[in-house]
Amino acid sequence: MSSSSAEDIPEQCKDLFTQDGVLLKSCIGRSINELNSIGMLCIVQNADSTKCVEWRPNDLITIDSDTQDQEWAVVNTIGRRQRTLSGNMTSDYATLRARIIKIPLSELKTFRVSRNNQQMQFSTKPGVWQMSFYFQHGNAEIFVAYLKNHVKTAKARNDKNTYIVVEPNRETQVLNKSFAELDIFTENPTDVVWSLVSNLRQRPYETTMEAFSKLTDIVYYGNEAMNGKRDVSEEVADLLTKSMSAMEDSTAVTRSDEYEVISVKPTLPPRPCIPRYALYYGNEAMNGKRDVSEEVADLLTKSMSAMEDSTAVTRSDEYEVISVKPTLPPRPCIPRGTPLSTEKWDGLQDTDGRVTEVEGVKQLIFRGGVAHSIRPSVWKYLLDYYPWTMTHSEIKNLQRRKTEEYFSMKLQWRSMTEGQESRFSEYRERKSLVEKDVNRTDRTHPFYAGENNPNLIVLQDILMTYVMYNFDLGYVQGMSDILAPLLLLLGNEVDSFWCFAGFMEKIAPNFDMDQAGMKQQLLHLQQLLTFASPELAQHLAQKDSGNMYFCFRWLLVWFKREFSHRDIMRLWEVLWTGLPCANFHLFICVAILDTEKDILIGKDYGFTEVLKHVNDLSMRLDVDKILSTAEGIYHQIVSAPHLTDQIRVILGLPTIGRSHTEDSHSDTEDKEASPKAECSRTNEASRSNATTNGNGTNQRVLFAPEADEYDRFIWPGEHNSNYIKTAKTLYIRIFVRWRHRLVSSPTEASTAKTLTYICPVATPTSFEPNGGFNIGSGTVLVYFGATGSVTLEYNGIQISVVTKTVWALLA
Amino acid sequence: MAKTYDCLFKLLLIGDSGVGKTSILFRFSEDAFNISFISTIGIDFKIRTIDLDGKKVKLQIWDTAGQERFRTITTAYYRGSMGIMLVYDVTNEKSFENIKNWIRNIEENASADVEKMILGNKCDLDDKRQVSKERGEQLAIDYQIKFVETSAKDSLNVEYAFYTLARDIKAKMEKKQEASNPPGARSGAHVLRASDQQRKPPSWLSRCSLL
Repeated sequence: MSSSSAEDIPEQCKDLFTQDGVLLKSCIGRSINELNSIGMLCIVQNADSTKCVEWRPNDLITIDSDTQDQEWAVVNTIGRRQRTLSGNMTSDYATLRARIIKIPLSELKTFRVSRNNQQMQFSTKPGVWQMSFYFQHGNAEIFVAYLKNHVKTAKARNDKNTYIVVEPNRETQVLNKSFAELDIFTENPTDVVWSLVSNLRQRPYETTMEAFSKLTDIVYYGNEAMNGKRDVSEEVADLLTKSMSAMEDSTAVTRSDEYEVISVKPTLPPRPCIPRYALYYGNEAMNGKRDVSEEVADLLTKSMSAMEDSTAVTRSDEYEVISVKPTLPPRPCIPRGTPLSTEKWDGLQDTDGRVTEVEGVKQLIFRGGVAHSIRPSVWKYLLDYYPWTMTHSEIKNLQRRKTEEYFSMKLQWRSMTEGQESRFSEYRERKSLVEKDVNRTDRTHPFYAGENNPNLIVLQDILMTYVMYNFDLGYVQGMSDILAPLLLLLGNEVDSFWCFAGFMEKIAPNFDMDQAGMKQQLLHLQQLLTFASPELAQHLAQKDSGNMYFCFRWLLVWFKREFSHRDIMRLWEVLWTGLPCANFHLFICVAILDTEKDILIGKDYGFTEVLKHVNDLSMRLDVDKILSTAEGIYHQIVSAPHLTDQIRVILGLPTIGRSHTEDSHSDTEDKEASPKAECSRTNEASRSNATTNGNGTNQRVLFAPEADEYDRFIWPGEHNSNYIKTAKTLYIRIFVRWRHRLVSSPTEASTAKTLTYICPVATPTSFEPNGGFNIGSGTVLVYFGATGSVTLEYNGIQISVVTKTVWALLA
Repeated sequence: MAKTYDCLFKLLLIGDSGVGKTSILFRFSEDAFNISFISTIGIDFKIRTIDLDGKKVKLQIWDTAGQERFRTITTAYYRGSMGIMLVYDVTNEKSFENIKNWIRNIEENASADVEKMILGNKCDLDDKRQVSKERGEQLAIDYQIKFVETSAKDSLNVEYAFYTLARDIKAKMEKKQEASNPPGARSGAHVLRASDQQRKPPSWLSRCSLL
């Protein structure tokens, strides 16, 4: 593209980035009829190389392009666009020109992204949002990502959606340098262009294909394109226009429509939010109209395939990876209600004592808990000791039966003789555990304090009777913590026992022999956190804390160790309602972690610091605030448009067959994986392993997790030490999202890559050094974390996040 | 922030529930004892920096839940530990018998060359004693592990135990470091002189500080 002569261009600007379909919602100083018009939001570089954010109404753009014979002007690429402001200008045009809104970046103070990422507000002076825009197509994420390349921003303390402009960024040089370091795109742009031009005449079609595949490179490795003043893709695109003109007879408009499709022209690596097919087929494909561009697009897709050595599954995985992560709806702030009062509670029972409107009662309790004075009564219902529908007299009968039952079970162990006990080791073990724990349960609370406290005996009796009630489960540490507040509140031994039994019923999986229930919850928690707060989840994963073990105590005893007795009573009664979903306790975890997010990430806490910080939160948490936050997060998630099946399962919603490949764990029990050599994916894995190895040896799969457990990469030493002894190779395929930490914000540059990395099986405890692989001219080092996380490093800088792993042990 | 230590050792306390792991740790880190301890759920750690032959060694000591059921979780923390205290309760026969199981547990989950030490805790409770000191010593001989009876309550041998374990780890590291040195400098006809000894190659500290 030759640059036009400058004399008729009083104003020459370069659009660095444009976003179509942006509605002007408000602008101080503009008349109301200017609002709600559609336009284009751009980042423009002026002739004096200052930059500004500019909004142009659509009708202007049309005029603009009409005045030029530049097909590309219509396309919202970065193409250089000259505006003609000559004497024959219509007055309409002048009016439209006046409607352009410009915000010089040097004056931009803050901007804010809100309404599901679809609204953007700008301000050049504190306290006033001068203008706001609504993004009709997709959302503002990409625009923000680009904008952040031109201004240095910091998130506002009080509002994470608000960005404060720290200073205009002179990052271009930095960027170029960092991408050059990666050295993936090595070809000389000029060569590309010239060979294209010469080939075009002889082999227009093939050359176009070639150009497309180049373009694919650029789209795919977008980042690399930035190493010239004028980027390759721009030149290629230019040439493509010409070649296409030669090939077909369509009008400029149609063509440009088609090209709109490839206008994902990343000067900086964007995260294309357009779904894959829309990206390549554009509108035409939707209309079923098969034309050249579609065929080209087809071939383009194929060329993309050729570029990678991966399977179809892998490819689609990768596209998942580079697709923009949808953002959650804004978090509603839901105030807590007042506790269920005596009057209300009395009013909710009919004359016979039946509780009517059970759901209503639960709602009230969920909103505000229960007044302390009626807790003893209400808790019995919440813990399924008293059925809601029972009358006073029925309850009396029930109490009688339950009292008898309790004492008969108590008698069973009380009447055990010393001789019996000496030959009953399982009983002895349980008894000894109970005794040890009773002596160290809430001893600082007056109710349990002091030597020979009779309440300790009651505590012990209840726990021992529970051992007889549920001998298989027996006594597990944590149970005394669960019982202590119940006994403290109810006072009565029998009531406490049955309420305890009811509570245990709710949290039975916590005490599974193989801890499957806990592992499942920790996994669910991790999935939920990834959905609700991906940034934090990612940080934890990087710090070897992705297994969420540091939340173990929270979950095991439902936060008993984290709150005072008063507060734990409030928290528990809310959770017992089972509202708004059975896993609401996981939302409590997410709420606490979200509150601590800034510290955990900001201070770059590692494995030990995370654990310490979380453990030290004990007794320093505000129960009402956490409940409110948790509920807000719940609503945020439940109304998220991109809700996956995985999250739906956690929420207790029916599944809809949508799974996110990136985190498509099965929701089945976390069972011990059994060796399955027949597993097709593993066979495939071992085949490709042989090829990649190039040694042709037939490697036998010794161990591979169940297909649906692939993502959960657990270092084989952890559970399968038997296999590791005979295994020679660990085959691991890693799905990576590159994150260019070199660039100011890690989110703005991402592209996908699949790595097949085969490493010798180290001793189960050795995780370093793990070798590496080459990329460009450098080496990427792979580090396996202690808990199965994988991080990659390039020139000492962590560059990527592993989103998925497939692994197997080979003989 | 300047590093306040030369070296970091990760230690681990394991043993049956209620043998006094948390009490031992509390005695060592805070020099205190509290009769009304709470059971450890999950995992926690404490830090104490000690002076070892002029070097500041930061001990990061991990305290685990003892009950067998939680082992799948707690063993995840074995990794990377350089020293392990195996604790039993002298007033509890079963906890002593279980030391064998704990050793097997270490073999399966910890590094092969981890330093170990057996502690027979609660030795102040002589009237309730079920395991004699001799049996403890014999077990230690069988496994070739150092042994000492301790009392977190009376502050008996707790300091000694941690210092001993830390010193053994340090010695092992130094030995490893020496072994990895090119032998040319001091082998062959060349007789090692006293002055050579002082000219130590890059200290082992440079290695362990990577941790």
